[in-house]
Amino acid sequence: MDYLLIQVTNGAIIGIIYALIAVGVTIIFSILKIVNFAHGDLYMLGGYTAYYIVTFLGVPPLGALFLSMAGLFLFGIVLERLFLTPLYSDRTERKDEYGLIVTFGLAFFLRNTALIVFGPFPLRPPSFVPGVVHVGGLAVTNDRIVAGAVGVLLILALLYFMHRTIWGQALDAVSQSRDSAAIVGINPRRFNSLAFGVGAALAAAASALIAPIYSLSPGMGVLPNIQAYVIVILGGMGSVLGSIVAGILLGEAEGLFTAFFPDPTRALAYTNAFGVLVLMIALILRPTGLFGRRHVRME
Amino acid sequence: MRGLHIYIALAVAVLSLVSARTLNAYWMHVAIIAMFYGILASSWSLLAGYAGLFSLGHMAFASLGGYTSALLVQWYHIPIPLGMAAGVALCTVAGGLIGWVCLRMSGPYLAIFTLGFSEIVRIVLSTEDQVTAGMAGLHTAPLFRAPTDLPYYYTAFGLLLFALAVLILITRSRWGLFLRALREDEQAAAACGVAVARFRILAFAIASGLAALAGGFYAHYIGILTPSLGSLDLMAVVVVMAVIGGMERIPTAVGGAFGIEVLQETLRAYGQWRLVLFGIILLLTMRFARNGLLTPLWRLLTGIGEARRPAPAPRGIGPEGSRP
Repeated sequence: MDYLLIQVTNGAIIGIIYALIAVGVTIIFSILKIVNFAHGDLYMLGGYTAYYIVTFLGVPPLGALFLSMAGLFLFGIVLERLFLTPLYSDRTERKDEYGLIVTFGLAFFLRNTALIVFGPFPLRPPSFVPGVVHVGGLAVTNDRIVAGAVGVLLILALLYFMHRTIWGQALDAVSQSRDSAAIVGINPRRFNSLAFGVGAALAAAASALIAPIYSLSPGMGVLPNIQAYVIVILGGMGSVLGSIVAGILLGEAEGLFTAFFPDPTRALAYTNAFGVLVLMIALILRPTGLFGRRHVRME
Repeated sequence: MRGLHIYIALAVAVLSLVSARTLNAYWMHVAIIAMFYGILASSWSLLAGYAGLFSLGHMAFASLGGYTSALLVQWYHIPIPLGMAAGVALCTVAGGLIGWVCLRMSGPYLAIFTLGFSEIVRIVLSTEDQVTAGMAGLHTAPLFRAPTDLPYYYTAFGLLLFALAVLILITRSRWGLFLRALREDEQAAAACGVAVARFRILAFAIASGLAALAGGFYAHYIGILTPSLGSLDLMAVVVVMAVIGGMERIPTAVGGAFGIEVLQETLRAYGQWRLVLFGIILLLTMRFARNGLLTPLWRLLTGIGEARRPAPAPRGIGPEGSRP
């Protein structure tokens, strides 16, 4: 029973982290109309950035988290300016194919550069708050609590930004109709950059939060990237709230799957496959996601 | 000069057959691997370049084909060519099935779906290690027991020729036209009477079968098979090859494969940096020369001796170009 409870708690925390990654994918999709295949690698990069800020500059981990978010926000904007501008030109044919290959190539480039620069060995940054909390028979490390709490705060901040600020509303307007947004005086180009930067920053936050629990490695982004697609497909492309709900659900489902899988030596490997299988079945049933917003679709 | 490319292709083919005996063991190996990649890159470009079905599961099929053949040979001691044929048959069916399942998925959703498929294949292959030996590697029976790799060289050559013949026959026929119509606009193609479903499934089945052929050959040539044959990095290398050569033509994709493989070997001293370099090349090619590097190069070379013709209209301008 305790084991089950631990899995449920861990599932919820992982789910929040997944939601942070997936929300970035969905924001980028709703504005740029591309699926970002490099998102998992931006996530990886964010974690390493936070790690090096902590070890070299001596900034406390929570400060490093925000610095890393700022860094990835800028890096995302640079990437978007460098490689994604052809997406907005009428002269580019088959934009979804272009977006796909470019982000896929970007992922390949970032992953292999990280392998050289950061080395293949896993790194573990210092804890946010060392120690363990006992609640009843349940032992939860402080890092997991911090990850869950900061994750929830960031999601709430994002929801506030999206729904209660003028920039967030403008972002939503651009996602609904680029032309109409331009007519009422919103510069869509600026919001392309903003969306990509915000997506990258959220991924960085997720990575910095998860790093003390698992650790950092250059290939760490591959599976979360796919999990993010699972969430985005389940929650609906372009729906921020849907991603959050689906993220937590997926985290729980995976935790329970690990708990109930008959063969514990293989449980972990098949937990990853389980998420992917959910993705494939969801895509077969609803090729554009389960709760997709109607106006958000490929051009 | 009309038909120049055919003469050049013939000359290259004859030259590579004749000069095979003079290659040393190292370059022989490089050539064989280049031909292996040639099959993969060209069949992928049928899928992605012609039909516009951007699949990330191509290497998963190569890996499936390799494992099917290796395991069948190991369990039932059937002749190796039969094992390879079984792998090809399995992957043709599985590829058709994937094509059928993804009929309603467009661009990125299809890529996500096939990415998921390839990850599942990789996870299962590395986890079920009592059967597949997992990451330790499955030892496979060699196709030939000869002192040199010469028989492998000729086999690889024959397989590449076969794959190219199949692919070029398809792309030159009405089917190729249908596939390109699918790529440009599926609804318009359907309205013109193209059987969209049939051709999407067909493209998947053929490309996957050829990938399995390459994978089966690779398994029995290298002698050891690991799940990393189906890894995302190798998939990316195949994408780099096809895109750099030009994924909208079959022969240029093969050219890209040869170019990248030779580059990979000559830069061996730089290790991991090569993949970074390929990533940069891919990004720059996509950003600035989406037709690949070989087609413009070819235009440049053949255009030297000829009278000036009006330049072809840039992509995206013209009756079919201005899509929203």
